[in-house]
Amino acid sequence: MTFADPADAAGTPGATALEARGLGKRYRRGWALRDCSFRLPAGRICGLVGPNGAGKSTLLGLATRLVTPTEGELRIFGVPVDDPAAMPRFAFLSQDKPLFKRFTVAETLRMGSELNPGWDTAAAERIVRSGNVPLHAKVGTLSGGQRTRVAFALAFGKRPDLLLLDEPMADLDPLARDEMGSLLMSEAVERGTTVVMSSHMLSELEDMCDYLLVVADGRIRMAGDTEELVPAHTLVTGLAPDGTQPADLTPHTVVEFRLQGRQFRALLRPNGPLAPDWEISEPSLEEILLAHLRTPGAEPLYTHEARVQAEGIAAA
Amino acid sequence: MSTTTLTEQPRTGQPAKKPGLLHGLTWLVLRQHRTTSWIVVALTVLGAAAIIYERGAMADMLAGMGWPDKDVSLQNAPQSYEYIAEALGALPVVLAVFIGAPLIASDQEHGTAHLVTTQSVPRRRWLAAKLAWCLSLVLVATVVLSTLFSWWWEPYRDLLLSEWLSGSVFDNTGPMLAALSLFLTMSGIAIGMLLRRVLPAMLGTFFFALVVQVAWGQFRHLLGSPHIIKWPLNADTPAMVNSSDIVETDRWVGSADGQLYPWSTCVEQTEKASDACVKEHGIVDNVVEYFGYPQMPGMQWTGAALLLGATAAVAVFVLWWTSRRPL
Repeated sequence: MTFADPADAAGTPGATALEARGLGKRYRRGWALRDCSFRLPAGRICGLVGPNGAGKSTLLGLATRLVTPTEGELRIFGVPVDDPAAMPRFAFLSQDKPLFKRFTVAETLRMGSELNPGWDTAAAERIVRSGNVPLHAKVGTLSGGQRTRVAFALAFGKRPDLLLLDEPMADLDPLARDEMGSLLMSEAVERGTTVVMSSHMLSELEDMCDYLLVVADGRIRMAGDTEELVPAHTLVTGLAPDGTQPADLTPHTVVEFRLQGRQFRALLRPNGPLAPDWEISEPSLEEILLAHLRTPGAEPLYTHEARVQAEGIAAA
Repeated sequence: MSTTTLTEQPRTGQPAKKPGLLHGLTWLVLRQHRTTSWIVVALTVLGAAAIIYERGAMADMLAGMGWPDKDVSLQNAPQSYEYIAEALGALPVVLAVFIGAPLIASDQEHGTAHLVTTQSVPRRRWLAAKLAWCLSLVLVATVVLSTLFSWWWEPYRDLLLSEWLSGSVFDNTGPMLAALSLFLTMSGIAIGMLLRRVLPAMLGTFFFALVVQVAWGQFRHLLGSPHIIKWPLNADTPAMVNSSDIVETDRWVGSADGQLYPWSTCVEQTEKASDACVKEHGIVDNVVEYFGYPQMPGMQWTGAALLLGATAAVAVFVLWWTSRRPL
């Protein structure tokens, strides 16, 4: 089931890269994230999906110690995030990709080597060179795409076991986006790095991710392996003569129900047989995500792997 | 400061090449603040050169007037002395506003605080390195300048017309310039950290520093306890009372039993009326309350100790705050 052999990165196969238990963060205006419990196995490329303000950035902030949790705990490869021992294990790339503008590219990479015990100079320089970014150029003079490349080099040079990306491609032109996407995939696959990537580009996620974490209104709505999540859903079309939800739908979990004239279209998680007069099709990942984002009230869905067992996985 | 102390073992086959003498956080902090360091060093050298040159010019001028053999009295202190004393008086505020306030606020505003604190070094160590750099720079600059200024002022203090307890002397010599600068800079750092934006931090620090400077001016004479001198009402004023060594803080007239009256009690239109008043109150002495020059170092070190204690308290607060919550 694993995408890449996680043994290199995580030490033990089948390890958990990220595990949240009852995680919550309250700001003055209210809860940004609440009751967040999930498990992300090592070696996965995980998409973090949700509308703006859903809690994605808060979750990434909690994982990178930039936000302190109000309740619950978060572990990176079994190490609590507030333990300094967790720091070398992750790298973080935020959307605005802050860098020291007056540093040259070489100095930026030197900073990586000075502050990180496991620094990989060769990898960082290779990423920078392959984009033809001059090492002696000041970071402030680089284009957006070049700067992103330097930020990627800094992140990968750290040799993280877990790479956390907050909308990494959002401000890139299509060419740079494509380039960074393949760079990310090749580096991650080569090392078995676990990646958590928030994005609004559903097609991008569909191409790259084999694991999903869907967040809305500060709560987890769906978590698990894409290959299990998609078949758990069915798209049905049928007649709704009186304009209300037909009774046949009741046994199933209805994620989204939409009326179009006398017809209805519903995304279900079927529980048992479906009515014979419905037209059934398999939804795409994008359709499932859109349905969940439109109706945040749907019952959360966790695959077995993503669920946090009560007795804990510390022994696993 | 080396990051190698953090690691269990390097996870790469070959350890990273590290050219140069500086490593880890020391390198990062010095590189990030390279320009600031050079500007402060350059201004310090310039200020030191100006003091040395102007002191020489003043010595030549006084030698030309025959001092110290002849009694020379200057109408005013030389302009250059006034300017430099004023500049030194403003130095603590300038350092606090331009170096202290942006130290953390700038990294918070530009996101580089997030960049550094998501590497493998705990944020408290990074901040400690930044504080160490900033406070050392302030300390070196102010110690150099105040030492030179003391060297200028001390031999000529009889001629330079300013009381030693006035701000332009007391706060610019001995340990005071360094202590005031360190306290205001450290406060600026804390204000910047709390406000998280450079411009508000600089403004906030500026007003805070002004308030501190004014309050300090009110507080200065509380650093020591004044002495008292008495002499008979009709005797000549002792030479000491008129010398520049003492700073008179109050003057009374007193009766034989030690009762003090305001100095103007028996200032009357006619001598007759005055005499009657003196007789009526039984006034026999002139009484002057003063600080003597030998008290100056003690008062300066007391003040410096208070300010340095406050500086340490603010530094501990900043480090405690950042270990509790992210920047």
